[in-house]
Amino acid sequence: MLEGAEFYFNVDHGYLEGLVRGCKASLLTQQDYINLVQCETLEDVKIHLQTTDYGNFLANQTNPLTVSKIDTEMRKKLCREFEYFRNHSLEPLSTFFTYMTCSYMIDNVILLMNGALQKKSVKEILVKCHPLGRFTEMEAVNIAETPSDLFNAVLVETPLAPFFQDCMSENTLDELNIELLRNKLYKSYLEAFYKFCKNHGDVTAEIMCPILEFEADRRAFIITLNSFGTELSKDDRETLYPTCGKLYPEGLRLLAQAEDFDQMRRVADHYGVYKPLFEAVGDGSGGKTLEDVFYEREVQMNVLAFNRQFHYGVFYAYTKLKEQEMRNIVWIAECISQRHRTKINSYIPIL
Amino acid sequence: MGSLFRSETMCLAQLFLQSGTAYECLSALGEKGLVQFRDLNQNVSSFQRKFVGEVKRCEELERILAYLVQEINRADIPLPEGETSPPAPPLKQVLEMQEQLQKLEVELREVTKNKEKLRKNLLELIEYTHMLRVTKTFVKRNVEFEPTYEEFPPLENDSLLDYSCMQRLGAKLGFVSGLINQGKVEAFEKMLWRVCKGYTIVTYAELDEPLEDPETGEVIKWYVFLISFWGEQIGHKVKKICDCYHCHVYPYPNTAEERKEIQEGLNTRIQDLYTVLHKTEDYLRQVLCKAAESVYSHVIQVKKMKAIYHMLNMCSFDVTNKCLIAEVWCPEADLHELRRALEEGSRESGATIPSFMNTIPTKETPPTLIRTNKFTEGFQNIVDAYGVGSYREVNPALFTIITFPFLFAVMFGDFGHGFVMFLFALLLVLNENHPRLNQSQEIMRMFFNGRYILLLMGLFSVYTGLIYNDCFSKSVNLFGSGWSVSAMYSSSHTPAEQKKMGLWNDSVVRHNRVLQLDPSIPGVFQGPYPLGIDPIWNLATNRLTFLNSFKMKMSVILGIIHMTFGVILGIFNHLHFRKKFNIYLVSVPELLFMLCIFGYLIFMIVYKWLVYSAETSRVAPSILIEFINMFLFPASETNGLYSGQFNFGEILMTQVIHSIEYCLGCISNTASYLRLWALSLAHAQLSDVLWTMLVRVGLRVDTTYGVLLLLPVIALFAVLTIFILLIMEGLSAFLHAIRLHWVEFQNKFYVGAGTKFVPFSFRLLSSKFSDDVA
Repeated sequence: MLEGAEFYFNVDHGYLEGLVRGCKASLLTQQDYINLVQCETLEDVKIHLQTTDYGNFLANQTNPLTVSKIDTEMRKKLCREFEYFRNHSLEPLSTFFTYMTCSYMIDNVILLMNGALQKKSVKEILVKCHPLGRFTEMEAVNIAETPSDLFNAVLVETPLAPFFQDCMSENTLDELNIELLRNKLYKSYLEAFYKFCKNHGDVTAEIMCPILEFEADRRAFIITLNSFGTELSKDDRETLYPTCGKLYPEGLRLLAQAEDFDQMRRVADHYGVYKPLFEAVGDGSGGKTLEDVFYEREVQMNVLAFNRQFHYGVFYAYTKLKEQEMRNIVWIAECISQRHRTKINSYIPIL
Repeated sequence: MGSLFRSETMCLAQLFLQSGTAYECLSALGEKGLVQFRDLNQNVSSFQRKFVGEVKRCEELERILAYLVQEINRADIPLPEGETSPPAPPLKQVLEMQEQLQKLEVELREVTKNKEKLRKNLLELIEYTHMLRVTKTFVKRNVEFEPTYEEFPPLENDSLLDYSCMQRLGAKLGFVSGLINQGKVEAFEKMLWRVCKGYTIVTYAELDEPLEDPETGEVIKWYVFLISFWGEQIGHKVKKICDCYHCHVYPYPNTAEERKEIQEGLNTRIQDLYTVLHKTEDYLRQVLCKAAESVYSHVIQVKKMKAIYHMLNMCSFDVTNKCLIAEVWCPEADLHELRRALEEGSRESGATIPSFMNTIPTKETPPTLIRTNKFTEGFQNIVDAYGVGSYREVNPALFTIITFPFLFAVMFGDFGHGFVMFLFALLLVLNENHPRLNQSQEIMRMFFNGRYILLLMGLFSVYTGLIYNDCFSKSVNLFGSGWSVSAMYSSSHTPAEQKKMGLWNDSVVRHNRVLQLDPSIPGVFQGPYPLGIDPIWNLATNRLTFLNSFKMKMSVILGIIHMTFGVILGIFNHLHFRKKFNIYLVSVPELLFMLCIFGYLIFMIVYKWLVYSAETSRVAPSILIEFINMFLFPASETNGLYSGQFNFGEILMTQVIHSIEYCLGCISNTASYLRLWALSLAHAQLSDVLWTMLVRVGLRVDTTYGVLLLLPVIALFAVLTIFILLIMEGLSAFLHAIRLHWVEFQNKFYVGAGTKFVPFSFRLLSSKFSDDVA
């Protein structure tokens, strides 16, 4: 890229950046959340959402309203916006968008493979797939019996193909191997995305790299946390860590040796960024979970991305923020529909 | 009706609506559109309000109606729009209406579902026949292989796989055939190759006629394919790939007889389905036709009902819960109407206790209501676009009716163009009830809404055009010029006298390209032309110099009169709002400043016109220099600011800033009125250019060809006149006139910080279907 992207940025991407900033302004406000929490039924939620930018997106839904209906419609709305952005984008922003969809594609592929393993019908699982990660070849995933099969037959022409370089093996696809495949795919995906942003340079690199570094480290922590008490060996665990984060290399090596949460916390203590996060985690009964703390941090980074202009990070940040908002609405709606109001306030506000 | 000079007096009224009659009362009020409701539950969120259930019911009805309208439109049944708008439904009828609509919806959904299903079936059968027809050609191509297939007996159809298999050379030979979407063919074939590693043979051909998808109504092109493969494992995979690409797979017949049999069976089934489908469609049409009759009134009724409940949601309950209290703004003149509407509403519901109202004093600023008619509406809109007037302040729209077209005309002065514009506007005005004009869109709508403005603009342009003596850039000589050329060329004088007086003789005329008429010679100038500019200036080379001086001075005079008038209107505002000191300390100094400087400028202009004649014109001083000197003279004697000057605090500061702003503003505003001159000049020059470039060229060609040439030239002239001179120049003059009113005129007195009075009126509801469908 040329130096001083701000001079040329608006020629190609100015319209979309303006649009995405407008979309960001329509995210639910604190007042909206306060009102949503007060709702008695899902109908109330619907009425309140009508006064926001969601508009009458539920108007054509027949009664009774369910949380999953709300979720699907919200996803569809996000997907429509995203498709609009993508259809109007020029290179290299289009590639950036492709990278963004890859993570959803990986999730969908894994979901379908798990479904095939449990002998569920493809249609049943297709409903659960994230619309942003949809692609035609996806439905043929269950043809494959080994990862290399999967690559050769199904995914070779999709954007996921380059991420397969590390996971070509002839192992059968059982549950553990699928999970390993997911993490390996994700690892190479994150590294590739990171490289793309780094090579792009300019403000995009300045904004996106920290976000992706955080994403990589978060995955490392979560993988470590989830592998406690499983048959995953420490060496195998280390191969799953994405290497583009701040933890690389020493932190990851220490993490690979960790045996419980306290040891993990001790690793995080070496890093100024992660120490406060681990301190915020409540122990046992009350307080926030590690995941929530990570989500909050993610929201914070994404909101900050809007403070700079002329970069692609806003598109990433907007999608992530919108996802968080959807998670919040679903959380609140679940709490309301299950009459379990004690935890209704533990959504993650987008400030 | 209320006056246009000030907005109407408003009062705040409290309505006590008995809970049984509230709905009927609001219905009566809505039909009349008298009052604007205030939201008394501002801090109650939308889903916690009293009548939220009723609003939800209305929304449910709206949803059903939208569905009906969508189905009716899809069936191409005309939707009759009623002439009169039905009143909001009485509460007793609402339930009935709801039941009726719900029943209709259920029935309709069932019938459409059946129809869709039938059509889907039909489509499948048609696809199957197509497939059979096309695949036959595939086999024919390999006709020598066909007997080979027949040697082996066909196996039972595999229950899991919808294709048939054959035993051949120890391996199972199977076929899968079906249809695939045109766009997916390539990817499909690639994946087949990759997965089956070449153990398949794919043949496909494009289907000549595209088929319509019954769900989306999209017309899609299809390919028919036939895959032959060996081995059961591969068969499974092929099947999965077909699923993945959403292929429509149909069983493939093994023998020619079977094919024929299936074909015949299909044909009869298709025939049957067609008859059933026709019957279903007829029935559906009947149901929809019946629904279409009442759907318009239902849509309007539901809209009104929803509006009523929205208003009721703004009311608060009294302590006993028996009575709804609403606070409304109402024009004082309409109070008795309001009482009557409430009585009507109470009577209709048969309530024992009537609803009533009383006015309450308030310190809040009421909304602004200025009643307009179709003539004044456009002008009021121009003012409102700048800002809705504060309550009871002087409304500039009244004066805008005359000043706006006038200032426009000063810039657009050409009576040919003005007359065309006038005719166009007259056409719009005379046909204003024509339905096509009422429903016109975009730019035409703009013209239509401003038809009376256009009419006046055209008329005034005719007038200014006469004053400028411009008709399509040419002058008209109606009364005979006041200048006489022959007087310059008199032979009664001696040659010496002739030379002294600058008279012409033969040699002068022959040797000079430019000759000058001298008005001081007796007989040359016989007095001014009776109306406007003397047409002889059209021939003069110094025409522009003359016109510039005239128009520039005229602009300044008009501008200063306009602004002074604005300051005087400010006095009316101060008088009305009882701000006595504002008159002494704001308006009078403003007037003084304005008149002492710019009033004096006008005086100088007029004085110079009157006092200096042709004889003394050479010693006449320049007004511009005179005026500038007036400012420069005291400037040399000022000593600057003394210390501690601003200790009076903020008030003085703002006053000083305001006065400086006003003084500078006056100068810049006066200069701004020079746009009158500039635009009028530009307009005249542009039309002149058009004339010389086109018509004059056409007229100069010799007579035989000239006539032929003249026709396209005149046509081009007419088109360019309309598009450039009338529309483009007209828009630009319009914009500048708007600016002169908004900025130069209205900032002298108009605050424009009011809110518009928006009455609760059913007439403001849209009576279109399109809103519901969206």
